[in-house]
Amino acid sequence: MLTKKLTIGIVCPYGWDTPGGVQNHVRDLAEFLIAAGHTVSVLAPAIDESQLPDYVVSAGKPISIPYNGAVARVLFGPIAYARVRQWIGSAEFDLLHLHEPAIPSISLLACWAAEGPMVGTFHAAAKRQKVIFAIGPILEPAIEKLSARIAVSEAARLTLTDHLETDAVVVPNGIYAKRYSAGIFQQKWAGNTIGFIGRFEEPRKGLQVLVDALPIVARFAPDVKVFVAGPGDPREFEKHIDPQLRHRFEFLGKISEQEKADFMSSVSLYVAPNTGGESFGIILAEALAGGACVVASNIPAFDSLLGSGEFGALFESENSTDLAKVIIDLLRDQNRRKQLSIAGKAHAQIFDWDVVAQQIFSIYEMAMVGANGVSLSSDGRAWSRFLSRDEEKK
Amino acid sequence: MKSALILGFVLLVGLWYLSFSATRLDRLHHRVETSWANLDVLLQKRAAIALEIAHSDLADPASSLLLTGAAYQARDADVEHRSVAESGLSGALSLILSDGLAHASDSEKALLQELSALTAKIGVAIAIHTDAVSSTQMVRKKLVVKTFRLAGTAPLPVTYEFESDVL
Repeated sequence: MLTKKLTIGIVCPYGWDTPGGVQNHVRDLAEFLIAAGHTVSVLAPAIDESQLPDYVVSAGKPISIPYNGAVARVLFGPIAYARVRQWIGSAEFDLLHLHEPAIPSISLLACWAAEGPMVGTFHAAAKRQKVIFAIGPILEPAIEKLSARIAVSEAARLTLTDHLETDAVVVPNGIYAKRYSAGIFQQKWAGNTIGFIGRFEEPRKGLQVLVDALPIVARFAPDVKVFVAGPGDPREFEKHIDPQLRHRFEFLGKISEQEKADFMSSVSLYVAPNTGGESFGIILAEALAGGACVVASNIPAFDSLLGSGEFGALFESENSTDLAKVIIDLLRDQNRRKQLSIAGKAHAQIFDWDVVAQQIFSIYEMAMVGANGVSLSSDGRAWSRFLSRDEEKK
Repeated sequence: MKSALILGFVLLVGLWYLSFSATRLDRLHHRVETSWANLDVLLQKRAAIALEIAHSDLADPASSLLLTGAAYQARDADVEHRSVAESGLSGALSLILSDGLAHASDSEKALLQELSALTAKIGVAIAIHTDAVSSTQMVRKKLVVKTFRLAGTAPLPVTYEFESDVL
């Protein structure tokens, strides 16, 4: 299996201490590789440097900029560039793994500054934007330095081919499937229950669609209950719920990983009504691994994750009537629910870190063929010296 | 005086851009070479495994003959005929795999497992290689690269028409 021990540098573009899919992925990957005996160093922006695990190196405080319809905590600028160069020079890396190298953050800087085997992972899925005509020529020479590209989903791959005209290998995000399949059935969440996990205040998570569907569902299943887990202020949200139905919603707040596993094993249905902006849908993989029967909107990422309905039911995105219909059908049909949850649980094993890390590692091996470790880039040497002259004076 | 300064500056930027493009192109050519070397090794390994399968009990005499022939062809083929030969080998292997799995012994199962792991790797290697080739071709089409002959004597990389679904 993972035979040769490597020194791997991973760059995470977003602030380490803010929650997010990319950060979770980087953390899990780094921990998996360390457990397999490799030496791993992660470079990431961080607000509080004292809170970092010992494999993370801070690149400085992140800057909040609006990007792609959300606020992204990224980091760039001459000082960050100097730090990135210093980090690359500080260890003899066999390989660099850059996450989201196409956004303006330290991954792009690292891509610019380094020479040698580099693997890039693209997470985002977005519609084609006009601005790419302007920034494409700048990104292209940097992106093409990557020896191999990974996209986390078919949607992310399409975004990449659309925007930068380059292809990628699809390797899904990883989950620790065993943790979820070990979830314990909890009576308090059982019965005619619907589960939802996520930052419910964000419109794109789509809880409103579920709220709108509930009046119809309640007519056919009078004892239906909805459990909403995730950070946020429920009082503000409850104002949008019909007062007669308010008692059917229970807000659990933020729950731990263990509770999440129990939650997925206990609820009758797990509903993901996201309206878009989702590239992979890690929560669905977790729900499947936990043995939940999943109902999800038919956005491209979910459609492909659920095998077009083979491993979970789909409804038309943003259509609460269709959602209500799917929920009612499933609540009435226990066999169908069981069937979906068994199929889903089996399918979720392909997202297990054991499988995913193996795939990532074989891409590492290919990227390293014929190369001799990572070094600082020689192009634009005068330019780089100019940018990092402060560093050299010290 | 002023115009001379501007001219000098433009010249400098132009020179920098030329050297930048040349490094970029050199790196791309290097990537084409290494990704091809990588793919070539994997394909050779596959041919070796195919021969092993052909000599095992998995294959009846007729399919053994077919497989041996395809494997030798894939090994001997020159660059132009490589993709056809490799597709032929893929076809022969899939014929065996479609009906040979039921009566496989333990050592043969290990062989088949090795083959399927290798096939997955080949798929990735093909993707990486074709990507390197197409970006190189794109850069070499640029006007500045053509006029200043930045590619030097390096041959234009050719796309290999691999079937995307080897096996």
